[in-house]
Amino acid sequence: MKNGPLFLLGLLVTIAISFVGVVIGSHAQLGNLVPFYDDAEGQAFPQRPSGIAARGQLVYGDLGCASCHTQQVRRPDFGSDQARGWGDRQSVARDYIHQSRPQLGASRLGPDLKNFGARNPVVASELDILNLLFSGSARHPAYPFLFETRKVAGEVSAGSFLPAGKTLQSGFELVATERGRSLAAYLLSLTSGYDYPESKPVVLSKKVEGVK
Amino acid sequence: MSFLSPSDPRVDQAAVTDESVISAHEKLLGVQPDEKGHYRLAPLNVLFFLSGLIMFGGTYLGRYAGYFDPRVYNENVLHGGGSGEAPVAIDPIALGKKLFNNAACNACHQATGLGLPGAIPPLVNSDWVTGSDEKLIRILLHGLQGPIKVAGVDYNSAMPAFGRVAGSGFNWSDDKIAAVLTYIRQEWGNQASGVSVEKVTAIHAKEGDHKPWTVVELEKLP
Amino acid sequence: MTTASTHAASAEVTPIDRQARGPLLLLLVLGVLWLVPSGIFALLASVQLHSPQFLTDCAWLTHGRLEALQETAFLYGWAANVGLAIALWVLARLGGYPLRALNWTVAGAIFWNLGLVGGLVGIATGDMTTFSFFQLPRYVQPLMVLAYAAMAISGVLAWSGRRTDSTFAAHWYAVAALFLFPWMFLATEVVLIWLPVRGTVQAIAAGWYAQGVWTLWLAPLALAGCYYIIPKVSGRVLSSYESAPLGFWCLLSVGAWTGGRHLIGGPVPAWIATMAVVTSALMLFHYLVVALNFRGVASAPGTGATFIRFGVSAYLLVGLLEVLTSFRAVALHTQFTFIATAQTQLGYYGAISMMFFGAVYYLVPRLAGRAWSSAGLVAGHRGLVMLGVVGSVAGLALAGFTQGAGLLQATVSQGSIFEGMRLPLLLNTCAQATLLVANLLLVVNLIRTIATCCTTVDAAAGLFRPAMNLEAPAL
Repeated sequence: MKNGPLFLLGLLVTIAISFVGVVIGSHAQLGNLVPFYDDAEGQAFPQRPSGIAARGQLVYGDLGCASCHTQQVRRPDFGSDQARGWGDRQSVARDYIHQSRPQLGASRLGPDLKNFGARNPVVASELDILNLLFSGSARHPAYPFLFETRKVAGEVSAGSFLPAGKTLQSGFELVATERGRSLAAYLLSLTSGYDYPESKPVVLSKKVEGVK
Repeated sequence: MSFLSPSDPRVDQAAVTDESVISAHEKLLGVQPDEKGHYRLAPLNVLFFLSGLIMFGGTYLGRYAGYFDPRVYNENVLHGGGSGEAPVAIDPIALGKKLFNNAACNACHQATGLGLPGAIPPLVNSDWVTGSDEKLIRILLHGLQGPIKVAGVDYNSAMPAFGRVAGSGFNWSDDKIAAVLTYIRQEWGNQASGVSVEKVTAIHAKEGDHKPWTVVELEKLP
Repeated sequence: MTTASTHAASAEVTPIDRQARGPLLLLLVLGVLWLVPSGIFALLASVQLHSPQFLTDCAWLTHGRLEALQETAFLYGWAANVGLAIALWVLARLGGYPLRALNWTVAGAIFWNLGLVGGLVGIATGDMTTFSFFQLPRYVQPLMVLAYAAMAISGVLAWSGRRTDSTFAAHWYAVAALFLFPWMFLATEVVLIWLPVRGTVQAIAAGWYAQGVWTLWLAPLALAGCYYIIPKVSGRVLSSYESAPLGFWCLLSVGAWTGGRHLIGGPVPAWIATMAVVTSALMLFHYLVVALNFRGVASAPGTGATFIRFGVSAYLLVGLLEVLTSFRAVALHTQFTFIATAQTQLGYYGAISMMFFGAVYYLVPRLAGRAWSSAGLVAGHRGLVMLGVVGSVAGLALAGFTQGAGLLQATVSQGSIFEGMRLPLLLNTCAQATLLVANLLLVVNLIRTIATCCTTVDAAAGLFRPAMNLEAPAL
């Protein structure tokens, strides 16, 4: 390692090999994934998120929701994801191709949200989400800055709501801000109902022994 | 000259000089110019350990890397021997139901299969549905025009062509035709036999791009 | 005293140190100061873990943003500044000449830290990239790369212009860290920010970067300091040094492949995680070499060696845990839990930071030409920081065990998992407070040491014992 340029070149080669192997390699495999067209349904999956849901994803990202919530369901025989009603199948790369910045997350302090909009057995309503975001709970922080109290001009707005135990001055209403509404729309848009060919469980002919 | 005591926590004393640190270690690597011939390999047991790790790695990759296939998400998948993707059998009832409710069928015949009284004939308790599949297949493939009597009531409206034939707005493949027909023949209490894809294909090939059928033409068939 | 040893003694207070004093002390002070905001962020975030309604009125301090602020201030504030100071100094000492291009280092340090402040404000207002360890907003990233390159230049110059042709392990690790970081950062910026790859490939690329921060940047910086200081203070040749080159290339070539272990079971093809398992196992070789090389630190005297002993033990432990938790059967219990957080804490605080602290304690008296101003503060910092690291790692790990066991059983509700973690998470908060106090002691001690060095005559010659020549054992 006395030869300076050769040493630096060696360093560069090691980093280049790992970059090409890990990042470029997986990009070559997954970068060209296209939506899967289902002939019977007559449409392609995954479907593009609506504009408001796409904006909601940015809110989800910049508030750092991913520090407590994952958005990746593991296959039914690996962990309790299915039993908890978080999703019936393994999340696959194709699920995320329309997301500008997938929020896979690495911590499950809260539940997984990959399939939040199509949960088993109960789907939360927009009102449930807004209530939780406004008031928080024993284990979920509140986000009061996603809401505003404003004077009723004319009729009460369609989106206004009143959480339990909260009173407002008469003539005022509580509504979610644009950011709050997009976040709720985004959460409800999170579904992974469609089974892609690669997400179906594979049946093995014989049980695999030894270390996984 | 007095120095801080070596045990004083405020200063760490150096025991040796920088130059000698380099030269002493360089000798150990056996590449110091004046030490030619004194090349020392890394200890054999360390190398054995490394090669053991490499061997483990290679074996593990071969077994659990899913053959580096981007479609494999379960590391236990093996090629051959019944593993891998088995062709998935399509349930014609499920597919038929999806088609019935997503395409135009339920707009006229309703999701209940009861049709619209006076305008659209019902699919429930109809001999046309549960009777001969020869006629039924032709109706769906090419459409139907003119008056028709269903369950004792007269109707006169047009049924569009659904098959992959000239003038069809739907261009359904034969297996979709078969699936939908199987569905309507076995739903809402109907209990007729399913319709096979082969039979649809055979009739499609025989009739080609037939124009929409009339009841008169159909009644000549079995 | 012989002439030779007089010369050797003076070698401990060289023109190299005197000339590098300003720039390197600047880096060290900045780095140590960053421990304060980073510690405050860590403390606030740890309170939110058991009391979720803490600070919820403040949009700047949601838990996600606090975590991003904490890790960014810690990595790019504390670790980057101090790590660079250590690497530059080690390269200058081994090179035998005063550092060149130090103006670049100073300018780079100023812009790096200004950029970091801007980046933290950006994160607090919602501009974080959402990639773990790569949270700096896109608009400060180019500045950071340029500033880093400016700082690193003098190190690479010191290495290429060294007095002797020979090289030493500390050289390799220091040069690798200085040279590789900008490449790694730029490559990640291209695939995540400028020309973003699609879908989950982003998660794979972010995993590669986060692993690279450990294996290609901070671990080499810390090891560079250790490889230099351990033979210096122990006065003995490193044992099994013949294996050192293999250990070095093992870390460099294999390390960055192991990032995929965090994606086990996730929406990426199976081979990504399997590759990570295999490469994590190969890393055992690197850890073995480090363990063999650093055996001598067990009996080495001094404050620095105490920290390095702790740091090296934590480094080896975290390496073993990395291998263990990369296997799917184990990951099933540890993935997505606080066990992963505990591992990060053990790695970045217990291993990297402790090795850095050791180097700082060794380095500052030589740069400042003064002994540390207070032995009591040294002892206080040493005791409290070790207590804090052990406490936080233990708290997080206990919480993680509860969480992992609970998550595996669908019948255990998340509410009861949360209740079960409250106590260990409170322990973690206490430990984070301890760490903050400990680091405040270090800040006070460092400022006092430097303040006196600038007002008194250079009395360094009286500080250091004469150093001997190190003899290689006969072959």
